[in-house]
Parts: sequence; structure tokens; C-alpha cells
Amino acid sequence: MLIDRRILSTFDWRLAASAAGLAAMSVLIIYSTSGMHSSLLRRSLYLKQASWMVMGLFAMILLCRFHYRTTWRLAYSIYGALLAALLLTALIGRAGMGAQRWLSIGSFAFQPSEFMKLSLIILLARYFEDHKDDLGAPRTFILPILLTLLPAALVLRQPDLGTAIMLLLITTGILVVMGLKIRYFVLLGVAGSAIAPVLWRFLHDYQKNRILVLVNPDMDPMGVGYQVAQSKIAVGSGGLIGKGWMAATQSQLNFLPANHTDFIFAAQAEQWGFIGSLGLLLVYAYLISKGLRLAKDAHDLFTMVTSFGIASMMAWQVVINIGMVTGIMPVVGIPLPLLSYGGSSMLMNMLAVGLLLNIHKHRYLY
Amino acid sequence: MSRERDTSNPYAPFQKRIRVAAFLISAAILIVLLRLWALQILEGERMLLLSLNNRLRLRPVEAPRGLILDRNGELMVENLASFDLYATPEDMPDVEETTRRLAEILQSSPDELRQRISQRQGSQFEPVLLRKGVDERTVTAIEEQKIDLPGVSLRVKPVRAYPKGGSAATLLGYVTEVSHAQIKSKEFRDFRPGETMGQAGVERRYDAFIRGVDGGEQVEVDALGKVSRLIQRVEPQSGFNLHLTLDNRLQRIAEESFQGRSGALIAIHPSTGEILAMVSQPSYDPNQFSQRMTPEQWRTLASNPHHPMQNKGLQAQYAPGSIFKLVTALAALEKGAITPETKFTCNGTFSLGSNLFHDWKQGGHGTLNLQQAIANSCNIYFYNTALKTGIEEITRVARELGLGAPSELGLGDEAKGIIPKQNHTRGSGGWYPGNTVMAGIGQGMVTVTPMQAVMMVSAIANGGTLYRPWVVRKVETLDRELIEEYGPELVRKVNIDPDNLAIVREGMQAVVNEGTGGRAKIPGLRVAGKTGTAQVVQNGGPQRSDQRDHAWFVAFAPVDDPQIAIAVVVEHGGFGGQVAAPIAKSLLEAWFKLPKEPGSVQTAEPEPGEGD
Repeated sequence: MLIDRRILSTFDWRLAASAAGLAAMSVLIIYSTSGMHSSLLRRSLYLKQASWMVMGLFAMILLCRFHYRTTWRLAYSIYGALLAALLLTALIGRAGMGAQRWLSIGSFAFQPSEFMKLSLIILLARYFEDHKDDLGAPRTFILPILLTLLPAALVLRQPDLGTAIMLLLITTGILVVMGLKIRYFVLLGVAGSAIAPVLWRFLHDYQKNRILVLVNPDMDPMGVGYQVAQSKIAVGSGGLIGKGWMAATQSQLNFLPANHTDFIFAAQAEQWGFIGSLGLLLVYAYLISKGLRLAKDAHDLFTMVTSFGIASMMAWQVVINIGMVTGIMPVVGIPLPLLSYGGSSMLMNMLAVGLLLNIHKHRYLY
Repeated sequence: MSRERDTSNPYAPFQKRIRVAAFLISAAILIVLLRLWALQILEGERMLLLSLNNRLRLRPVEAPRGLILDRNGELMVENLASFDLYATPEDMPDVEETTRRLAEILQSSPDELRQRISQRQGSQFEPVLLRKGVDERTVTAIEEQKIDLPGVSLRVKPVRAYPKGGSAATLLGYVTEVSHAQIKSKEFRDFRPGETMGQAGVERRYDAFIRGVDGGEQVEVDALGKVSRLIQRVEPQSGFNLHLTLDNRLQRIAEESFQGRSGALIAIHPSTGEILAMVSQPSYDPNQFSQRMTPEQWRTLASNPHHPMQNKGLQAQYAPGSIFKLVTALAALEKGAITPETKFTCNGTFSLGSNLFHDWKQGGHGTLNLQQAIANSCNIYFYNTALKTGIEEITRVARELGLGAPSELGLGDEAKGIIPKQNHTRGSGGWYPGNTVMAGIGQGMVTVTPMQAVMMVSAIANGGTLYRPWVVRKVETLDRELIEEYGPELVRKVNIDPDNLAIVREGMQAVVNEGTGGRAKIPGLRVAGKTGTAQVVQNGGPQRSDQRDHAWFVAFAPVDDPQIAIAVVVEHGGFGGQVAAPIAKSLLEAWFKLPKEPGSVQTAEPEPGEGD
């Protein structure tokens, strides 16, 4: 392989190490939470996560080989393919835990909605670069909104409220940076509020409960209320330095449901306490700040939007996930980037970091 | 970067907005961090406590109760391992098949077992109690077929066992789980549901000594309540052993001598108050309570007209009949109403005003002095004596001797008995000389408990000292370390002239040697006694077996150095001399023959005395 020395010297090792570190931490936590679990299936989860981590790292490095402009070229195709995959998921997707989110290809199952997040970022990046001269016209923003609503509706139907919200938030952030006037957001907000009661009716009961539980944490003590209560106990009982690896009783003894997926942060916080949580937040902050810096220093709209989109996606996921785990946000089912169990999420986030690495590496190369 | 370059930068507006976004993201992350600070640092300790409560369970491990032994160290009450049968639904892959197999072993229906399993409360990891106290055969069968009975387990726990069955049951008491009502009361606030405690007799009174200190297991459970590991086990501390004053051999003989009749017997050491035997018949098997008693078993026990659960020695009050003549004699001597030589003539009847009182012997006893009157239990003599003495002195002497007040042995609710005073009348008719006459022979409204009767006899026997009866000699740890030792407790020196007591003792000797208590006579042993026949239905008529008089006998021996005092009452037994005296005799014979004094007593056929 021909290696451009400049590329090697400009490879952001710290960024790559942060992502790899988070993924490794994920394997450790999943190992610790499933160690005492009786089911073999659960016990082997950390191995699966480890293999996804390896695949993710591989994908991340692989992505660096191409110029990010390749993604620019493929933006619409990837979006189209994923939209088709989402449609296909709705038709023949694999159901699990009350939702139809996975598409099986042989023994491999992936979650198109996860990849749609990154795809939407790239799509919007390309779109705004293509329309950089029309940014003053409000109509320029109509298509991006439609291109977001389309997959969001399909994802919501699965149902996956968390990912649908993520798609909307990602687009919102990008639209703001692209200069959509605040008054339009107010307008969108008013329109949104107007149709909220209608949308509310389309929500599943458990989704409604998740939102209501935020207002009244005691309303569903054995359901979402239980989960949040147990999660808060797990996080809080970690104290300053935590109970230590493999000693997190709340998560190990299964008091904390979903302790390897959406609630993995609680398992982490229980084991390594405030010090560990702070460390983790600093790593995320580094990842996010890296994305924001790349966006700020970008010389073209595509890299700016891509970098900003990835940074904001990470930020939304981190803030909402930890917010829901600590009981200050509704439980909407958003995974913690690179930490929550799941192949699609791991791959997508690794690819996102890979894209940042790519942008970083090429920032002085044209 | 210079301002000029900034303004020339076409991305400047975007960069500005990105900076704002970065600021907002930083603020959001800071909020999250503050939340973590609040939860982990400020509330950390509380949350840690909550997490401990979540996962740690304390499972009590019941302490074995202390043993109860008789005065010679013979085991009266012990603990046995009881096997309780449990099923854990989660561990039963095929509930149908397992319950079918189990039902075959238990010889019950599979449906009943399935119903029990389905009625469980709590998680399916929680074992369901299927049967308490399964027998050895079942235990063996279950162990043998263990491999085919997944989810079925046996747990061992100590249960109270009474190897002598119903022997001394009302004295020893029984043990059950505390009831809901008990737990609610202040007295039992330290008990937890399911905990066992002594419910009657010695088991109840000395529960604090016997119960021991329960241990516990601290186990870690998961969210489904399934035990994941044992964290700590605190071994239970066995309760203290009790050594009774009771002699089990004597107790057994006493019980056997009742031959299925109802009544009570108490034997005590007159110079100490130690209870040597305490019989209440019929009895019950306290082992029944250790296992789960069926409602049917309980109904049978509770509705038995002979009150097997009652300790008749303490709780039943009977008219003392002629044994009360000892009190009347003492009162008369104390008052100087008579001397030992005072004679009255008995021709079978005694008239007082318009009332005619009878002697038990048709035709009467002729002329008798006090000793002869006691020996023959002459009613007419004591009608005269009572009348001359008056009820006040009779009451005083009776109370001096412990009648009319509970003995304060402390084993359950004790009856007080009734010793009338002059102003003590039923209804509003006032106190008449006729009442005094009746009281003088232990009839009318006088009632005593067998315990009071034996205390009275003891005080007469030992020359006038009333001791509180007691049943526990000492309390020891398992390692025989002494915790508590008990000894004689003086109630009072009775305010009765010892010479008068000696006169009455001589009269009591005559009862056995030449009077109504001949059936208690034991050659080679100087026995003193007094028979009594207490009317149940006034002026008899043809008496049904449940209307016959109560037969009394009180005795002590040997006269010079009393070692044992006895009170026997046989409910509806008839004449005391015929029914109660032989029981006392068999007990006295046994007591003096028992190994501590081998060969001190010869057995011989007594010469039967007649009547009262």
C-alpha cells in the first residue's frame, strides 16, 4: 500500500485512540455486566462487541484510505440505499424487543436507522455544498427537512423514537449552522406544537410513559420508573471512585435492565464512580471538540457540515443518553456512542470517527 | 487570526454559529457533569445504601431451643431435624411430570401440589413450601429420586420434640410460630413473622432463656430474588438448657396411675417447694404443635370436654371436700375452740336451725376426739368445730396456708380459688352459720387448686413454712456454664402454733394408719394423709359418671422428715380414699424406691380404708 508520508504524519492518533479506547471500555463493561449472568447468550455478548470493535476499527482505518470526497460522491446513493433498507426493514425486518429494526443478510443483522444518521449528515453536507449560493433562500431548507422527515417517519414506525429524534436533532443543528433563521425554527416549533397532540396519539403507550415519567418519576415504578430508579441507584452508588470492575452489583445482578445497551453508562458509573464518569465525559468532549474544531477550520461546506454533523450527533447522543440514565431526560432509547452494545451503532460511530480522521488528515491536502 | 481576514472569510458566519453551538454543547455537557456530581458525590452514600438494600437479603437461621431436662438429667424436651419440602418453579423444566412423581412419593394428588406451586407469592425463584415436616420414608424416597425431581428440595430446620409425648405436657408447654395477633401486640414486637416461641408452660415462662439467638445468612440476590452467593453466615446460638425439679420417673408413674381418668396431681418437696411431679389428665401431645397442626386436629383438641390443654394443677378449682378439715381443725385449735381431747358425738346427722346436715357414714361415727375425727373424716365433728370456731379464723388459717391465692409458680394463668369471708356470700342472703358449717368440711363455696392443696400440706408437714413452688432448678449453657440457679423461696412462716400443726399431722397419720386413707398405707414408711370427697352435685341421687364427686387425697411422707408432699384430685372419681389414695400410694412407693435411696421402702398391700 502506498502511504503518503504526509498522511501518516497528519493522522490524528489521539482521535483514533479515543475511539478505540471507548470501544475497549465498552467490551470491558459488557464483560463485567454479563459475567454473572446465567445465560450463555448474554455471556458471549462481550465477545461479539469485541469483534464489532475490531471490525469498526478496521472500517475506521479503511475509511481513511479514501478521500472524503468519495463519500461526497456517494452521498445520495448511500442515502437512497439506506432509505430502501429502511423500507425493506418495515416489510421484512427482523423483530426484536417489540420493534422491527434489523435487516438480516444471511447471519448478519444490521440496523439501517443507525447508519441513516451518518448518511443524513453526509447527504446534508453535500446538499448544502451544492446549494451554498442559495443559503439565503428559505426554500433551500425545504428539501433537507423533507429528506430528514422521510427516514424519521420510517424509523418512528419501527418504532424507534430515539433514533427518529436523533435524525431530527442532527438536521436541526445543521440547519442552524447553515443559517436558517431562528424565526423559521420558531415557526417550525409552533407548527410542531400544533401537530404535537396528533403525533402524541401515534406514540406507543410505552413511549408516552417514557415522556410522562420524566415529569413524574414515580408514575411507573415497575416499568420505566423502575429502570430509571435503578439506573440512578447504580450511578449514585458508584460514588467518587466506584465499586470497581466486576463489582458493580446493581448492573451485575441485573437490577438494572438494559445495562449493556442504552444504560451502559450506569454500569460504567457504578464501577468507576465519578472519576470514571468524568474521564469518560472528557474523552467524549475531546471527540466532540475535535469535530467542532474541524468544522470551524473547514475550507469547504462539505467538511464543515460533515464535521459539525458528526460532532453534534455525538454530543446529542452523549447528553441525551447520560441525561436519561441520570434521570434528567426522558428515556428515549438513544445509545451511547461507541459504548453501548450493538454492531450497527459501533460500526456507524467508528465510521463517523473515521470520517473525522479522514477530514483531519486531508485538511491541508487538496 | 486578524479581524480583516475574518471578514474576508466566507465561512465566518458559519464559524460563528459553530462557536455558539460549541458553547451550548459545552454547557449541556457541564449540566450532565453537575448531575453526575449530585448523584455520585452528594447523594452517593444514600444511593449506596439503596443499592445494598436492593441486593442484600438477610435470611434468618433459627437457633435450636435449649434442652429441657428433669432433675436427674433425663431429656424431657429436645430438638429434632425437620425436613420441609420445597419446590422452586423456575428450576422445574416440566412441572407436570415432576409434580406427578412427587405426588406418588407423598401419596397425594398432583393437582394439590400444582395448586400450591401456582399459589406462590413472590418470584418464581422463591422456593414454595409444599409440605412441612416430611417423614423419613419420604426424605429417603426424595433423595433416591433426586435426579428425576429437578427443582424439588428439602430444607432442614430444628423443631421442638417431646420424646415423652404427652407426659408433663401442660407443665412443659409447647412451641408454635407467633400468631399475627401476637406480633401486633407490644409484648411480641421484637418477634418477626414465622418465628417460633414457647406458647405455654415452661416453654413460655422461660422462653427468653430457651430460645437462643437466631443466626442469619446474608445473601446476595439478583433482581429476580435468586440467591447468587452467600456473603456471610452468622451461626445461631443455641438456647440455654433448663434443668427441672421434676423427676421424670415419678412423673411417668404418676401419670400411669391415673389409668385414663381426668384429674391432677402435684408432688413437691415440702421443705423446698420443688415440684417433683405435676400431672394434668387427660393430656395432649405437644409434638402436634411443632408440626403444622391441621384445623381438624385443633378442633378435636379444643373441643375435648376434659380440657386436655388446661393445667388442672394450677387452673382448675375444686371444692376441697374433707381435705379442708385440716384447716378447720387448725383454726379451731388456734382459736382454742377445741383441744385435741375435745369430743363430739356423731350419730349421722347435725341439725342447725331448720337445716339438717349429714355425715358421710350412715348411723354416724359415735363419739370421737380430734385425731379420730380427722382419721375418719367425721363431718359431724367438723360441723361442730367450724361452728365453734367461726368463719374468720377458718379463713385466716386457710389463707396462712396458701389457700385462696395463686401460688405464683408463673406457668400461665393460675386460678385463685375461693376462701370465703363472713361478708363473702353468693347472692344477697348474707352469711349464715350454715355457710360456716359447710365451709368447715370444704364444701359450699370453698374452692382450691391442687397446687394450693399441696402447698397447704407441705406447710403442715414441714412445721409451718410456706414455700413458693418452683420447677426450674438451674439454667445452663450448652457447655454447662451456669447462667441462673434457683432455690427455695420463702413465702412466709405461717402464723400457726407448731404444736397445733403437730396435732394435725398426727391426725393425718391416723388417716392412713387407721382411717379413711388406708389405701395409702405403706409398711415401713410413715405416711400422713387426708382423704376428701368433694360433692359436685348436691344431694347426689343416682350419679352419672360425670356427676360423681371429685376424689381428693393429700399426703406427705415420711412423717418425721417429710421428703414429699402430694395432692391428688380425680375428677368425678368418687371417694377419695378409694380412688385418690391409691394413686398417692403408688407415687410414694415409687419415690422412696427410686435409685437415690435404694431399698428404703418395702412394698406391701395396704389395708383398705372405707368411705371418705
